[in-house]
Amino acid sequence: MRFLTVCSVIAIATTPAWSQDAFNWRKHEGQTINLLLNNLSWTPALRPKLHEFTEKTGIKIRVEAFSEEQYRARLSTLMQAKSSDVDVFMTLPSREAPLFQQSGWYADLGPLLKSATNPEYDYNDFSKALRESGVVDGKVTSIPINVEGPLFYWRRDVFEKCKVAKPDFLEDLPDAAAKIKACDSNIYPWAGRGLRGTVGYSLGAFIYNMGGDFKTPEGKATLCLPGTIKGLQLYGDLLRNFGPPGATNHTFTQVMDLLGQGRVAMTNESSNEFPVLMKRPERVQDIGVAVLPKSRETGISKPVVINWSLSVSGFSAKQEAAWYFLQWATAKDTQAFLADAGIAPSRASVFASEKFSKWAAENRPRGEWVKALQEIAQTGSSAYQTPTLSRTPEAREILSNVVQQIVLGQADAKTAACAVTEQVQALQ
Amino acid sequence: MPKEGQAQVALSVRWMVLPAVILTLAMVVFPLGYAIYLSFGGGSASGLGVSLYARLFSDPVFWSSLKITLGLFVAALALQLVLGTALALLLNRYDVVRGLVRTAILSPFMIPPVVVGMIAIVVLDPGLGAANWVLQSIGLPPLLWLASPEWSLLVVALIDTWQWTPFVALIVLGGLQSLPGRVYEAAEIDGAIGLKRFWYVTLPLLGPTLLTVAVLRSVDLLRFFDIIYITTQGGPGNATTTLNIYAYKLGFEFMDVGYASSLMIALAIIVFGSVLFFTVLRKKVTW
Repeated sequence: MRFLTVCSVIAIATTPAWSQDAFNWRKHEGQTINLLLNNLSWTPALRPKLHEFTEKTGIKIRVEAFSEEQYRARLSTLMQAKSSDVDVFMTLPSREAPLFQQSGWYADLGPLLKSATNPEYDYNDFSKALRESGVVDGKVTSIPINVEGPLFYWRRDVFEKCKVAKPDFLEDLPDAAAKIKACDSNIYPWAGRGLRGTVGYSLGAFIYNMGGDFKTPEGKATLCLPGTIKGLQLYGDLLRNFGPPGATNHTFTQVMDLLGQGRVAMTNESSNEFPVLMKRPERVQDIGVAVLPKSRETGISKPVVINWSLSVSGFSAKQEAAWYFLQWATAKDTQAFLADAGIAPSRASVFASEKFSKWAAENRPRGEWVKALQEIAQTGSSAYQTPTLSRTPEAREILSNVVQQIVLGQADAKTAACAVTEQVQALQ
Repeated sequence: MPKEGQAQVALSVRWMVLPAVILTLAMVVFPLGYAIYLSFGGGSASGLGVSLYARLFSDPVFWSSLKITLGLFVAALALQLVLGTALALLLNRYDVVRGLVRTAILSPFMIPPVVVGMIAIVVLDPGLGAANWVLQSIGLPPLLWLASPEWSLLVVALIDTWQWTPFVALIVLGGLQSLPGRVYEAAEIDGAIGLKRFWYVTLPLLGPTLLTVAVLRSVDLLRFFDIIYITTQGGPGNATTTLNIYAYKLGFEFMDVGYASSLMIALAIIVFGSVLFFTVLRKKVTW
């Protein structure tokens, strides 16, 4: 009897973890799935853990990861050919969900959530807003992998040296920038996105904080509203008067490089880039992180918040095996692992966990970053970055062209913004 | 050979070329045919028709892209032919420019265009780049380079010229070295030396070579994409949006594949037209 008990204990102790779950993780053992990923900080952070998925499920994975533009080109090429070569891909719902759904690129995850999901998965652990970002026409098209948004990064040491207070209001930014420009000619007071197609993300809060919108009260798309024009003018003027030369060719890579090198005093850039910035010890000491200030005039703070997500391809022949990958990659323990690498978790339980709080308390910028993310998660929306249309990429292009005209001094905000009303409305 | 044998050979030849025919059909004819089908609205809800071509005529971005494509084509081709010929004359004349030096001079066109684009971004960055540092160190004001709506197209043309002038030089050098020596002897007797000899003897004799280079470069220049995509993505504004860049945006970013196809067919017609023009011209200047 004793022998049997000992054997049972040994057997239980040595049984692989997967087999202890009621859920059969090895149902698709031997299959191979293809992942097409954007090389965001999420992707390299997950790579060291990917082998664990294969060990757990027996499903082999092939990963293709590209920088964002190349990733989009590759994805479009394969999906327009209705290729089954991609099983899992990354998606930015706020940009493309309606368009991709219309084109049949997403598999419907609803039935898989009901019939092929680990009981411990807890889909409701993702906040309602994040879950809804992936719901199009009542169908679940993606699962959020992070939460992110532009944050206000500022150099505390430069502000201190130049005796400038951190701006409490959006309208104070030009004044602070002017003082820094006069005090230290070696640093650009401001930097921001000016490259075509990229501007909406960092511009959105300028427009909404100033009382603007991308649509009229009747729901017609427009940029020709007083608050929108004020926001556009402020954003354009900051880049024009205080930004680095050539800002119309800058996106987050150039902006964060400049900030990392210590050549910029302020910017409103992606929270995703925070871990990269923290690789520079001097920035750990001197960088401040906060939500972009609200407007003095309106008192409004409406930050942009978005999430990247994972989807299963509508053309995949291995949709259930691909769904297993999504479950694993967005599970609580995977997100906890990624949070250690500075990936803001999309799961409420991981965000509120003691482990994540402890990680955030390790240095001042981390604490500020987490606090700012918590605030934008509550008050922000993805709708603040671009006119909400089914043809969002084209709207982004138009918005960028308006900003470029202001930055280059070709037109003021009112002229440039009101000239594109018909163009924007044609996309509705 | 008896008639039966001839027929057998003819049949064998047909079978032997079949793989090449199938490959050509699959790799050239099918994609082109499919693009034409899409360009007429194939696969779309609106059905087949010429509406996408009609849209080209009323699209201001198409016309500005066409203008930019042709502007870039003319500027870069002219620069490359002139500088390439000058470089070839130099390489042909001086023994010093041999071996490693010649290889170094000719190397830019061996560099992948993506790398050339990345080099351009670094060197021409208005804030951090070496180009403005050089300008400022000799007392000149800094330039916006690729960020300038007025100059960016010329800068792109210059980047392409930097890369492809050596290629032009290499072909012209080959042409120069195959010119008949007796013509030069006769010209010298007639008193044609120096610039006169170049203008009245070398240049006319180089005509076919230059037109061959023009055909090769014009195909590339009209389809210009990679360096612009890396450096400006068609901006600032639409200052460097060529037809190819515009079609890429339409097809891959806006997913308007039908319209992008009609634009690409229009571009293909322009490319074929230019090749035809230079080929006809080449036949006329043959000696």
